[in-house]
Amino acid sequence: MRKMRFGIISFAHIHAWGYANVLKELENAELVAIYDDDRQRLLKAAERFGVKNVYDDYEKLLSRDDIDAVIITSENAKHVDQAISAAEHGKHMIVEKPIAVRLDDADKMVNVAKKHDVKFQTAFVMRYHDATLTVKKMLEEGNIGDILVITTTNHGKYPDLWFAEPELSGGGSMIDHTVHTADLMRWYTKDEVAEVYAIIGEKIRKELKAEDTGLISLKFRNGVVGSIDCSWSRHDTWPIWGDVWLGIIGTEGYIVIDAFRPNVELVVKGKPLVWQYFGSNADKNMILDFIRVVDEDLEPRASGWDGRQALEITLAAYKSANSGMVIKLPL
Amino acid sequence: MTKLGVAVIGAGFISKIHLEAWKRIEEIEVKAIVDLEEERARNYSQLFKIPSFYTDYIKVLERSDIDIIDVCTPTYTHAQISVDAMSYSKNVLLEKPISIRLEEADEIIKASEKYDVKFMVAHCLRFWPEYKVAKNIVERGDIGDPRVARAYRLSPYPDWSWQSWLKDFSKSGGVFVDMSIHDVDFLRWTIGDVEEVYARGGVLKTKDASSYDYVHALLKFKNGAIAYVEGSWIQPKNFPFTTYLEIVGTNGILKVDNQTTSSVTVFKENVAPISLNPVGEDAYFLEIKHFVDSIIKDYKPMISGIEARKSLEVVLAGVKSILENKPVKLPLTEEVINK
Repeated sequence: MRKMRFGIISFAHIHAWGYANVLKELENAELVAIYDDDRQRLLKAAERFGVKNVYDDYEKLLSRDDIDAVIITSENAKHVDQAISAAEHGKHMIVEKPIAVRLDDADKMVNVAKKHDVKFQTAFVMRYHDATLTVKKMLEEGNIGDILVITTTNHGKYPDLWFAEPELSGGGSMIDHTVHTADLMRWYTKDEVAEVYAIIGEKIRKELKAEDTGLISLKFRNGVVGSIDCSWSRHDTWPIWGDVWLGIIGTEGYIVIDAFRPNVELVVKGKPLVWQYFGSNADKNMILDFIRVVDEDLEPRASGWDGRQALEITLAAYKSANSGMVIKLPL
Repeated sequence: MTKLGVAVIGAGFISKIHLEAWKRIEEIEVKAIVDLEEERARNYSQLFKIPSFYTDYIKVLERSDIDIIDVCTPTYTHAQISVDAMSYSKNVLLEKPISIRLEEADEIIKASEKYDVKFMVAHCLRFWPEYKVAKNIVERGDIGDPRVARAYRLSPYPDWSWQSWLKDFSKSGGVFVDMSIHDVDFLRWTIGDVEEVYARGGVLKTKDASSYDYVHALLKFKNGAIAYVEGSWIQPKNFPFTTYLEIVGTNGILKVDNQTTSSVTVFKENVAPISLNPVGEDAYFLEIKHFVDSIIKDYKPMISGIEARKSLEVVLAGVKSILENKPVKLPLTEEVINK
């Protein structure tokens, strides 16, 4: 069996470590080289994953002929240059969400991938979670009739690092946590958002430079109503990192997805309650599907365009929160 | 001591619940039940062993042995009945919402002052076990300053309203005014005054309704907190009535969901499971007892007309926001639901 040969561009995003674990585990993938602009992080990852080829210049990694694909998990604002270069070097790519912090950057990324005929998948892992996938099938079969409302939350703890440094992240919890469920809503409705209204409140953690709460109300072109709670509203001792929750009201039924609810409750003496997850491994499903998409020359389930559309919803939400107005899409 | 005389007006959904509570209060006697339809009034008088029943509430107001009027009628009748009752110097317990019009709420408040009677709007959530605990947690400062809240109540379409008045926009205002006012009142009580409301919703499923059957709203509070409030009457039949509350503050999180905190769950063949949380002194009992005590001990009942009017103003701002598709700042300067 031919292994797909991967490079990882930066371990700045916490998800990189999970993806690397998957690559090490898969029989049809190999982690060949890694890049990071943080020397310590680079060496730490090299040691953790046993990677010999380490780079502090991503162009050099991308120049290697023996790499088929890269996973770009740098700080959000750095994706664009790296993705363009990857496409120009003919590498297929998975780009962490949000794919960029500016819409014109996202457009450039989508266009350059098309021009160089490389696969561009957005790391919308939630499209690869078995719970959301099962519900996708149910909706396609008309299980609950037509969709009327999708209420969602993507709560989380504060991820720390650079996530509230706007010049690197593009914002706070809103840019970090809007795209996942916005994308699921687009996927389920097969439609685009027509308008967005959003509010941001006083910060839970007053020391942050970016927002850590946000609420979004939106409407699709076909009239479906949606909402997103994208707050980092879980304190550090909450039993799990956060949630992805959807309540889908249809004309003939109601479906609730609580994707990270499958947990064993664990308490170690003297420590707070912890939820030990035993649900679907979405990271693994996503990377496996990416390999299939490249091998069989298919369109990714969550494409670069999907990443761009979800970013647009997020940017519209910021525009609304800043102006106090209802924002029509497209921007 | 002679017992206080109570008359309940309206023999429908909420009055049945109230009557069960009234019957357990020693200091009073339910002396009369009123309903426009004689059959309904007679039925309740038999069911709850109430000595007399009427179809005209004025007859009850004329009785000098009646001290308390419990108004359990459809919202659009609240103002007239309440003001009439007060003009006969009766103390009034009024089901929520106080009205669907600010002007009428003002008339009720004015009458309660003019005739110097005890008056309370029955926002029962303030007596509800988990909501009382939540309120205490916030008051104690355990979660710090509230920053982001989430509250919802979801149910199938209520099929019990007399002549389907809930479905009539000009009579009930719909799900947000009638049901979400519970959450709005609680959040206002617990977090503070609301500054601005944006809401989205409409008549999404109920074909013969003119009033909204689904609404969600984003609230901005004066202190910088924000909240998501959702009310749905479009859940499938058999869907268990579901309530959820979450408040996240600078120092902690509180969260309670009635579907995972029941002390009793009953499963039967071919029927949806029923979850119960029986507590000896339930919210309705405590609410009514509080009002009775306000008369006996002569204190101001906790949910004044002004408080209830503030909650009404927020939900009406939600309706206005849907009508205009833009955020609405408080206070409101004009009526939202016209006659």
